[in-house]
Amino acid sequence: MKITVLITMLLSVALFAKVNVAATYNYLGEITKEVGGNNVKVVVLASPKFDPHFIVPKPSLLPKIHNADMLVLNGAGVEIGWLPPLLKRANNSHVISGAIGFVDASLVINLLDKPMSVSRAYGDVHPEGNPHFSLDPHNIIPIAMLIAKKLQAIDSKNSDKYQSNLDGFISKWNSFLTQFDADMQECKTKKVVQYHELYRYILGRYNIGSIGTVEPLPGVSPSSKHTIELINKMKENGVNIIMQDVYHERKTAKFIASKSNSKVRIIPHDVGSVDGADSLENLYNIIRDRLCH
Amino acid sequence: MIKHALILSTIASMALFANDEIDELKKQIAQLQQHLSAIEQTQKLNAQKELNDKVAAVNRSGSSFNQSAFLPDMSFILDTSAVSRNMKNSDYETYSMPGFTEAPTDGEEPEIPFNKDRGFNFNYAEVALHSVVDPYFDADVIFHIRSDALEIEEAFVTTRELPYGLRVKAGKFRSGFGRINAIHQHAWNFTSQPLVYEALIGVEGINSAGIQMQWIAPTDTYLMIGAEAMQKLTPESPNEENNLYIGYIKSSVDVGDTSILGGVSLAHSKYFEDETASIINDSDIYGLELTIKTFLDSYSSITLQSELLSRTQKTATGDVTQAGMYGELVYKINTNYSTGVRYDSLYKNLYNQPDDLKRYTAILEYKPFEFSKIRLQFTHDKSKEFNGKRNDINEVLLGITIEAGAHGAHAF
Repeated sequence: MKITVLITMLLSVALFAKVNVAATYNYLGEITKEVGGNNVKVVVLASPKFDPHFIVPKPSLLPKIHNADMLVLNGAGVEIGWLPPLLKRANNSHVISGAIGFVDASLVINLLDKPMSVSRAYGDVHPEGNPHFSLDPHNIIPIAMLIAKKLQAIDSKNSDKYQSNLDGFISKWNSFLTQFDADMQECKTKKVVQYHELYRYILGRYNIGSIGTVEPLPGVSPSSKHTIELINKMKENGVNIIMQDVYHERKTAKFIASKSNSKVRIIPHDVGSVDGADSLENLYNIIRDRLCH
Repeated sequence: MIKHALILSTIASMALFANDEIDELKKQIAQLQQHLSAIEQTQKLNAQKELNDKVAAVNRSGSSFNQSAFLPDMSFILDTSAVSRNMKNSDYETYSMPGFTEAPTDGEEPEIPFNKDRGFNFNYAEVALHSVVDPYFDADVIFHIRSDALEIEEAFVTTRELPYGLRVKAGKFRSGFGRINAIHQHAWNFTSQPLVYEALIGVEGINSAGIQMQWIAPTDTYLMIGAEAMQKLTPESPNEENNLYIGYIKSSVDVGDTSILGGVSLAHSKYFEDETASIINDSDIYGLELTIKTFLDSYSSITLQSELLSRTQKTATGDVTQAGMYGELVYKINTNYSTGVRYDSLYKNLYNQPDDLKRYTAILEYKPFEFSKIRLQFTHDKSKEFNGKRNDINEVLLGITIEAGAHGAHAF
């Protein structure tokens, strides 16, 4: 009797065993939860408060990767400064580069601004192109499809479940996009300045003009010469919004705003970066509100 | 009778119509077949043309065995400095740490790997290669090039696919003993090695041929256990057989935006008691490490790091224990600037030797970008003896270190 109970328990544990997924950033975790539903357990490695390029490879992140069946990453070089040393030490062959559980979202995205030539003389350039594609909501569905495909490969017995979750998510997301695209129409004529080319994809999608960046080169701190040039350029072009991320210093942006009669808007880059950006929908809604109104 | 005739004529006309339809269909089929063969013909011609073009395009081929896609990641590191010091080079080279290290004997090269000379020093150029070998192994090689020598700093293979959270490294490598031993000089917070490492282990740290196994526990909290068997502790150690065994346990927890990493290490080895007696005895080095790092934002942090090393050697007259520690506080102000102070102390020595050997170091670091750093370091050193007499050293160092090329990110 005891043995039967034990065996049933063990079997049921195996039956209800969830796929452990580690996602580098919150938005990837959110998509994975949508597609994986009750069959996955998601942990996110990076805090949305911090610069996605400069996450510290803390030892406490090692068990999260070590215990994962699948690792979802943004890719295109954003994680190059912190994920490789963790992967090397996490001793988990299921999620190393080349394994089935290594899921690079950038592979299903058409990356923009792929540089013709690459040199560190241009600062922190990504040879693959601009990696901040998550800020265009139209890039969410391809990522969801990729995650679903990988989950089906790793956990084939729940394949149908993942398919129906995916179908449900796609139809939900498409109706969100219809509304979002309509809302963004009123934003079309805007011209902005960004701190870093972080919002490239959403600006490009809705034809919003990006006149320049607060940093002179990707990853290089602002200089006074560049700042003055930028102020003049903003005045010439009638720019009145500076898109500031949550993690860089705000002093320079505020200074530029005061000299160019423009406003600094704190724009979240990930789910959880600012209060209220607690879901994928709300992330984009907040971006829309702060950019367009 | 009429009925019969009617039925017969109906059947006959049906057959007639049916024949008509079939003829029609046959015609259509013939037409389609014509179409199809025309398409097939064009396709064939196109394919033939493509093939002809392809063949015509090949003139000479030099790239058939091109393997450039498989080139290893390569980077190089340079370290150079200018030093001002209150002592002549010829005197400085004779330094020893009483009870711990001996002065070089006549004709022997002094073992001071970095920033030896008053004036300018070219410390080293390093070339680091990394490559995935095959599905099962990664390989790393680091060449350390000084003005008069090319050394293999490290060269090892690491497993990629071992189960149960295991990873094995084999070759020549820096041991995972303690906090700083496995870290290369260019990634240290200060340009000089902690005194206690130089005093109890040596300027090279624990770096030898051997094998390492590290295991990560399948728990939510980081727990790593490592075991190593290596050839020898220092280049001077006896070498009749491999005689160095190392083990360590490390764990880490986060409290809010603060990471705490702690560990204990043990290195057990044989050493020469003294050269005249040629007695080989056991030596145990115990290490305690603690790192507390608080992240203020993406680019700013405060790090407190300390290690305590204690060595017990068996001698003919009983066990002798010597010990020391260092503690450092580093404040990373932003992407460009950081500053830090370090206190070194060798507080436990042989019974007739000084136990007040200390050193104070302060550093200001400027990083124009991630891959270069310019460092200004002040040192007040009360740990050295020169020609049998203790003398304080004051030193100012201005150094530059660059990491260029495809250099992997550093670990925590």
